[in-house]
Amino acid sequence: MPGRSRHPLRALDQKAMELASQDQQLRAALFRFVDVTPACRNLDDLARHLTAYLEEVGERPPPIEAAMRMSGTKPGRAALGAAAAAGVRHMAHRFIVGETPRAALKSIRHLWENGAAVSLDLLGEATVTQVEADRYAERCMDALETLAEAAPRWPDRPALEADSLGPLPRVNLSVKVSALSPLLRPEAPDVGRDDAARRMRPLLARAKELGAHLHIDMESVDTLEATLDLVVDLLDEPEFRDGPSTGVVMQAYLRESPEQLERVVEWARATGRQPPLVVRLVKGAYWDHEVVEARQHGWTPPVFEEKADSDRNFELLTRRLLDAWPHVRPAIASHNLRSVAHALAANRAAGREDRDLELQVLRGLGDDLAAALATHGMRVRIYCPVGDMVAGMAYLVRRLLENTSNESFLGDQQRGVPIEELLAAP
Amino acid sequence: MSFRNEPILELRRAPLRESLLEALRSLDERLPLSVPMLVGGDSASGAGFESTDPGRPQRVVAEAARATEADAAAAVEAAQRGFREWSARPAAERAEVLRRAAARLRERRLELAALQVRECAKPWPEADADVCEAIDFLEYYALEALELDRGRDIVQAPGERNTMRYAPRGVAAVIAPWNFPLAIPCGMTAAALAAGNAAVLKPAEQSPGSAGALVDALHEAGVPADALALLPGFGEVGAALVRDPRVHVIAFTGSAPVGLEIVRASSETPDRQPHVKRVVAEMGGKNCVLVDADADLDEAVPGIVHSAFGYAGQKCSAAARVLVHEAIADTLVERLAGAVEVLRVGQASEFATEVPPVIEREAQERVLRYRDLAGDGVVAAAEPVPDEGWFAPPTLVSGLPEDSPVNREEIFGPLLSVTAVRDLDHAAEVVDSLPFALTGGLFSRSPATVERVAARLPVGNLYVNRGITGAMVGRQPFGGNRRSGIGSKAGGPDYLLQFVEPRVVTENTMRHGIPVE
Repeated sequence: MPGRSRHPLRALDQKAMELASQDQQLRAALFRFVDVTPACRNLDDLARHLTAYLEEVGERPPPIEAAMRMSGTKPGRAALGAAAAAGVRHMAHRFIVGETPRAALKSIRHLWENGAAVSLDLLGEATVTQVEADRYAERCMDALETLAEAAPRWPDRPALEADSLGPLPRVNLSVKVSALSPLLRPEAPDVGRDDAARRMRPLLARAKELGAHLHIDMESVDTLEATLDLVVDLLDEPEFRDGPSTGVVMQAYLRESPEQLERVVEWARATGRQPPLVVRLVKGAYWDHEVVEARQHGWTPPVFEEKADSDRNFELLTRRLLDAWPHVRPAIASHNLRSVAHALAANRAAGREDRDLELQVLRGLGDDLAAALATHGMRVRIYCPVGDMVAGMAYLVRRLLENTSNESFLGDQQRGVPIEELLAAP
Repeated sequence: MSFRNEPILELRRAPLRESLLEALRSLDERLPLSVPMLVGGDSASGAGFESTDPGRPQRVVAEAARATEADAAAAVEAAQRGFREWSARPAAERAEVLRRAAARLRERRLELAALQVRECAKPWPEADADVCEAIDFLEYYALEALELDRGRDIVQAPGERNTMRYAPRGVAAVIAPWNFPLAIPCGMTAAALAAGNAAVLKPAEQSPGSAGALVDALHEAGVPADALALLPGFGEVGAALVRDPRVHVIAFTGSAPVGLEIVRASSETPDRQPHVKRVVAEMGGKNCVLVDADADLDEAVPGIVHSAFGYAGQKCSAAARVLVHEAIADTLVERLAGAVEVLRVGQASEFATEVPPVIEREAQERVLRYRDLAGDGVVAAAEPVPDEGWFAPPTLVSGLPEDSPVNREEIFGPLLSVTAVRDLDHAAEVVDSLPFALTGGLFSRSPATVERVAARLPVGNLYVNRGITGAMVGRQPFGGNRRSGIGSKAGGPDYLLQFVEPRVVTENTMRHGIPVE
């Protein structure tokens, strides 16, 4: 696993993020620019959008002022556009492992050799038509085939290939229900669920043949009921009762997450499913969306509004998840050292082996943590998005938001908050 | 006290959906409802006409008494009495009555949503939103009336005291449409009453049931019988109200031809009429959504589809046209086509339904006629649609000439026309050339473009990077310009001014050369 890169561009986007975390207006300008990049027709257009966003920033730091001065002339805009495009591309490469699964194979193998498994995630535009849903399902199928063909040639990494319950697939793909159907509607979850199920069945069947793991991602609360119902219904079908290995996600920022976990664990216990369902515990990535949507409609936000409440709930759910072993396999996905350390300690306290706990991070945000955990022989998996710039933009903006949030662990860590404070109980 | 919108139901929660279905089952057992004519203390029931379920036309939802022109005259006479009583009450007391009516609607909200599902084939989320909007109008105008009652600060000089207050006008005739069967009659009636006028409500003949529930709530809350009459009926009743010289204000929402006829008829001021009538009219639209080359199509496609096809396009705010930059026109049409094909056409009572039947046979025939006019321009439709009920397939057309009636006339149904334009200036010229100016939309990620287009377009409500329907009381005061409407925006701070007349009193405060104040 590579250590901290000395690449000059990395220093540059680190600098951009530092500036962005210090100034909300600048942060907004940066996001709006990254968001519009793939829709810009040429460098001039790109530079015009960039300067228009920067004009709305009240106090502009010197490097930004310099950029604005360049935009006065056409050659200046071309240069600024080129520099900005390179900047966004570089940022995208930090978070996105390749344009296609095939293009990502080299990086994936490299990670594997250095002790980290991956879960591949296919980025895409929103699915609004059946053709787009079909295309996404085809890309998932292609990803499974591509990974399954390459994986046997990877070297042995015993820490990543088995826990005390049995073997773990080398191939691991995360899929999004909202991309598998254009029919997901919050007030009619069954329609989207059935339509997505139609495309999910061949994927499950192929994953079973290939011995691959399929992980169903969780998105916003609007699709929550459809997603959980889909997983439970499909895995109860006779064809899928004994495989493939599958997983779901629990979002600790949801107030209702303890009940959801209860439901999933009860189901796993009752069905005795083998291989056991993997439950990935995350904080949740749609916090702003959930809060704004709820407040606009006059609803109680479905998420904890205090970060410390989410963190506490994360630890509570970690313990419940560990208690549910061996009916489910726990996977703790966090960049918060306190959350990770808590999971490791709780797992050991329960008398389990380290290999019975999976730790997950995001590509581009948790690389250093993954490297450190791998060095200590922990089972670590990196969530690796794949896709082109257009497809990846929504994802990229979410990751940037996370990385520049004043509340995020990573932000605190970068700002040099003392380790005792970072590790304090929430 | 500050205004807060009534929260819509969180329909992503299964128990709430179940509670609505339960309300519908219970309503079905009571159908048909009986809607009386209410004039003064008199209540006349009787099977004058029926409203039916557009999705199952043999189901009778309400049997209503049918008011005549003579009833209209009697209602206005009663309203004159009612006006004296109602306007004499302090503004705070009137506001309290309106707020009690809001509470009454709130208690019955599930049942009232179910009634719209049946009577107007309004799908659940929109039926629920309509009930909330009705509640909002009552609460909002109650607060605004209190504000108005305080009068305005004007310039003072030594030796005189100047006050500016607002007085109600008298009798308001409210002529309402069926497409927001509770919210729109409620808004116009509540505004008239909040400002101290008496009101005579003539609801649309397609939705007497919802109007009956509204008037019940207001009477139960304490509006005197004389101050609020209900005249279920047809066009001749509305026309009689418009002509009546004892009517002071006419609040109308509906089609442009009827609205313009009201403007014409109400301007006749016979000698025995001691005032000039005031008309507040919300009329049609031919609403355009502009899509620039830098738009986020992931947001534009769902926003446009929902704006054009929600409630089968039967909203005056609905999107009728898309004007898209030629650089992305093909991509947008392809994605819109796919999104139209997956629209769920069905009964309003099913939560999955996005496109319900249109209101009546005539509407169905009108939509199909325009669709025929589009000919080869049809690029996508969600078909087939059910045989029973007034269904019209949601349809996307593209590339029609600018002078096609499909591009110029209000269709009021699930038909959306896409036109590629050279740039947004070209798009603005197209908008300018239309006689309407109600709502508009813009998808662009350039701050300069947003500013330029917002300054340029004549529309009353412009929505940027979102759908163009669903105006919220207080947040998006709503109303059009040009031939889309006259008067100020519903649910906004200027609306009540149309129901009052300003009076200024200047008092000399000097006595024998000495200021006595």
